[in-house]
Amino acid sequence: MWKNYLKISFRNLRKRKLYTGINLLGLTVALVSFIVIALYINHEWSYDRMYADYDRIYKINQEFVSNGESQLVGSSPSLLPVTLLEEFPEVENATLIFDLSIFSSVMIDAGEGSQEENHYAMVDEHFFEVFDFDLIAGQKTGILSEPNQIVLTESTAKRYFGSAFNAEGKSLKVDGKDFLITGVMEDFPSNSHLAFEFLASFKSHRHSREPEWSPSNYYNYVKLKPGTDVAAFEANMAEMVEKYLGADLAEYGYETAFFTQPVTNIHLGDPTLSTIKPGTDIKYIYIFGVVAILLIAIGIINYVNLATAEATERNKEVGLRKVMGADRVQLFGQFVSESMILSMGAILFSILVIYLVAIPFENFGGVPLDLNLLFSPIGITSLLGLFLAVGLLAGFYPSLILSGMEPMKALGNKLKIGGGAWVRKSLVVFQFFVSMGLLISTFVVKSQLDFMREVNLGYDKEQVVALNYHYNMRESIPTLREEMIRSGAAVSIARAADMPHDVKAGYKIFPGGDNSREFMITGYAVDPDLIETINLELLAGENYTESDPVRRGLEENGEMPILLNESAIAEMGWTSQDAIGKKINVGFTNNAIVKGIVKDFYFSSLHQKVGPMVIFNDPEEANVLLIKLAAGNPTANLASIEAVWKKLVPGRPFNPKFLDQEYANLYQSEQKVGLIFGLFSGIAIFIACMGLFGLVSYVALRRTREISIRKVLGATQGDVLKVLSLDFLKLLGVSAVLAIGFGIWFSDSWLAAFANRTALTIWPFVIAILAVLILAVLTIGYRSWKVFRLNPSKTLKSE
Amino acid sequence: MIQLKNLDKFIESRFQRVFILKGIDLTINEGEFLTLMGPSGAGKSTLLNILGLLDEDYEGDYSFGDRSIKSMKERERSALHKSEFGYIFQAYHLIDELTVYENIETPLLYRNVSSSERKSIIANLMDRFNMVAKKDLFPAQLSGGQQQLVGIARAVAGRPRVLLADEPTGNLHSGQAKEIMEIFQELHREGTTIIQATHARENADFGTRLINMLDGKIESDEAI
Repeated sequence: MWKNYLKISFRNLRKRKLYTGINLLGLTVALVSFIVIALYINHEWSYDRMYADYDRIYKINQEFVSNGESQLVGSSPSLLPVTLLEEFPEVENATLIFDLSIFSSVMIDAGEGSQEENHYAMVDEHFFEVFDFDLIAGQKTGILSEPNQIVLTESTAKRYFGSAFNAEGKSLKVDGKDFLITGVMEDFPSNSHLAFEFLASFKSHRHSREPEWSPSNYYNYVKLKPGTDVAAFEANMAEMVEKYLGADLAEYGYETAFFTQPVTNIHLGDPTLSTIKPGTDIKYIYIFGVVAILLIAIGIINYVNLATAEATERNKEVGLRKVMGADRVQLFGQFVSESMILSMGAILFSILVIYLVAIPFENFGGVPLDLNLLFSPIGITSLLGLFLAVGLLAGFYPSLILSGMEPMKALGNKLKIGGGAWVRKSLVVFQFFVSMGLLISTFVVKSQLDFMREVNLGYDKEQVVALNYHYNMRESIPTLREEMIRSGAAVSIARAADMPHDVKAGYKIFPGGDNSREFMITGYAVDPDLIETINLELLAGENYTESDPVRRGLEENGEMPILLNESAIAEMGWTSQDAIGKKINVGFTNNAIVKGIVKDFYFSSLHQKVGPMVIFNDPEEANVLLIKLAAGNPTANLASIEAVWKKLVPGRPFNPKFLDQEYANLYQSEQKVGLIFGLFSGIAIFIACMGLFGLVSYVALRRTREISIRKVLGATQGDVLKVLSLDFLKLLGVSAVLAIGFGIWFSDSWLAAFANRTALTIWPFVIAILAVLILAVLTIGYRSWKVFRLNPSKTLKSE
Repeated sequence: MIQLKNLDKFIESRFQRVFILKGIDLTINEGEFLTLMGPSGAGKSTLLNILGLLDEDYEGDYSFGDRSIKSMKERERSALHKSEFGYIFQAYHLIDELTVYENIETPLLYRNVSSSERKSIIANLMDRFNMVAKKDLFPAQLSGGQQQLVGIARAVAGRPRVLLADEPTGNLHSGQAKEIMEIFQELHREGTTIIQATHARENADFGTRLINMLDGKIESDEAI
């Protein structure tokens, strides 16, 4: 029986090449998107499950509360793991990671000149006990327990020494200091939130000799004993805080607490908690999942629509089979086997396509697709499940309609499938609703991206280059500046602790002097040249000067001039005029004198509102040179600057970063979302338009005679197009109304994440809907043109 | 074997009932070769469809054997339909997508006949109707008479006790028509009950009983 079903189905599919082609292409495209998204989601979901006992490993985060304001940080102090190991019976193990790449890069020299490296961390001797990565060379016992030891990952070892075994026992220089390679470990997998190339022993760092309760600069992890009650453990940590920090906390008037975060929750967890590798917002995982299902739905709908539209053509066959004794179940089986074959074909094609697109996707999305997973037992089971689900979902409704026809009516060709038309219309509406909705979302994302690129940030980011420098280059910086300015390539150069688009340091304004308010403020340590270099606007007062006292080296009770931004004085309730000359306490000194007021500028991502800021002079803190290039060819200017750099600090990496580029990178994840949305809406529109083409072809076929008669009566091509497209355009109109509703909801909720957002205009809606409508009319137009070209004398003769 | 009592079929139009069949009383015994004659619209095809369980929308009583069709469950009716009836159409109604062999095979598939048995049944039929050479051709490649032969082979493949034929020779020229009727006669001799509807008087001469119909009623009923 099944052999017969399959044979007949194959023959039917082959006979209807257009419909089969449309269905196969649509389903394949939908399945490729679905499987790729599924692999991506699976990758994101599988983070940090490769360690033994991963369910007992937790990261310790810290909460600071002052004045009822709570701040969560992803790091904690260096004394914490030591204390937990010594005093907590429920702690099986604890380890510390000091991620130095957040401060600066390191220079590695293995005997062939130094190279700049960014994935460098220090870990304590328990690291490999908590995270059981394999060592390819070296012994796990006692590893990294002595100063100046280092472990490389396999690919790093290959890069420097040719092979893992060559590397073991050799030594290399890190920023000029010798380290002995005591082991080579496997590379960190792409789905681990740990991503380093060098792990040096924490004992090599001076901070390891006297672990402290402050600062909280370390990533700390514990492995709890089986069966530990996590809430009780957190309560015990609260007691520990009271015991060791109670007195200090009372004195400074803040509270702190440690809390646990399962290691598997780090990647998709709270995005505001700092971690080693940027996480993924779980919101996007859900959005992509929904989009994947919608795309599959659009592909399935094509099949349902074409198969039910075709039902009228097949009623004779159905009637005959019934007369010959087929019961409904048998007919159902036959028609479902057609959709099953298509589903299987589409799955096979899509696996093929996925192999072709895996590499481009990896480059584009930055996520490796584990294709081996497709052929693992789970992968094969899932693919089989997908095959059955798609085949059944696509085949169910058409088979129900086809197998339910009454035989004599079907044979008499009297049957018009009326019931199917209503369903078909709703499905077309749904398809184009999804297509338009996705396209509107794409344009909303795009308009926000445009807004962020073009908004007036309050400073000049064009022609400004940033050069990071190491703290032990400080001595050479003044000469470096002079030489660069003298070369004519730079107009103005400032030393700063951060780039202006991403200022991180938080300080606290205390009541003191003339100020009665206490609040958090962002501090920007820069020298006086910043104002000129990035063209900040001074609203009142004046800039501090080179001769003014700087933060480090401030005498007891010495006054220090500072600048405040508009938000800061607004927070204190002052106007720019009366703020000048006031004295405030900014934490590190209570003798800060307001010397000038700068206009607000965006010093962090547009997700946040501009907050209060204090600008002060602290060259010791600075680690970046901001250079305003002279007018003219930036490449030539940059070359002159590089020449100066190479001459004065040879051996130091020259990595210029353009400020506007760095600013754009802030929104990388949003740009990616925009691109992915664009891609998906393109795919959705493509599949939906193919389905439309199929439906119009079917309608055109049925109405060939009518159209020929109209042509004989003098209809133009435009009239024919109108006849064929009117019904569909009405449906698309309904889709458009629904899509507008969705678009409004989407832009409200997506833009809500931005404190500074573009005003919502009607353009994303108009452009998206028009684009889809034009494509739909072109699709219909092509088909109607082909019908119109038919010679009426031939089409009418067949009657 | 078949008994119809006071059978009516009508369609409700806006103002009145239009009767297609009215007050049909008919008994058909096993082994009869019955011919329904009458002009178009007399109700011949409708009666055939009701007899063959393809149309259940009627009033009155229809018994097959000693059981009333109306009292049967859907499943029983379907089983009866499968096991007892074979159909032949004026327009042949072969499935265009299937070869000669597959067309004949289809009813056997729906009766869950095993593969080897199917092969032997079809081989016999092809032999009998001289179609062995044509078994892999599609219907469009055959002449009308040949198509109708396939139609007959398909109808008898499931060994039905009753063969229903609606204008089986209507689309054929006289030579082919005669050939078909001779086959009917042969099947009749082997014990099959045959009920045919036709316009052509000469076809009735191959049978044993002739019923004339007009306007949904039986006008005359005579043995030949």
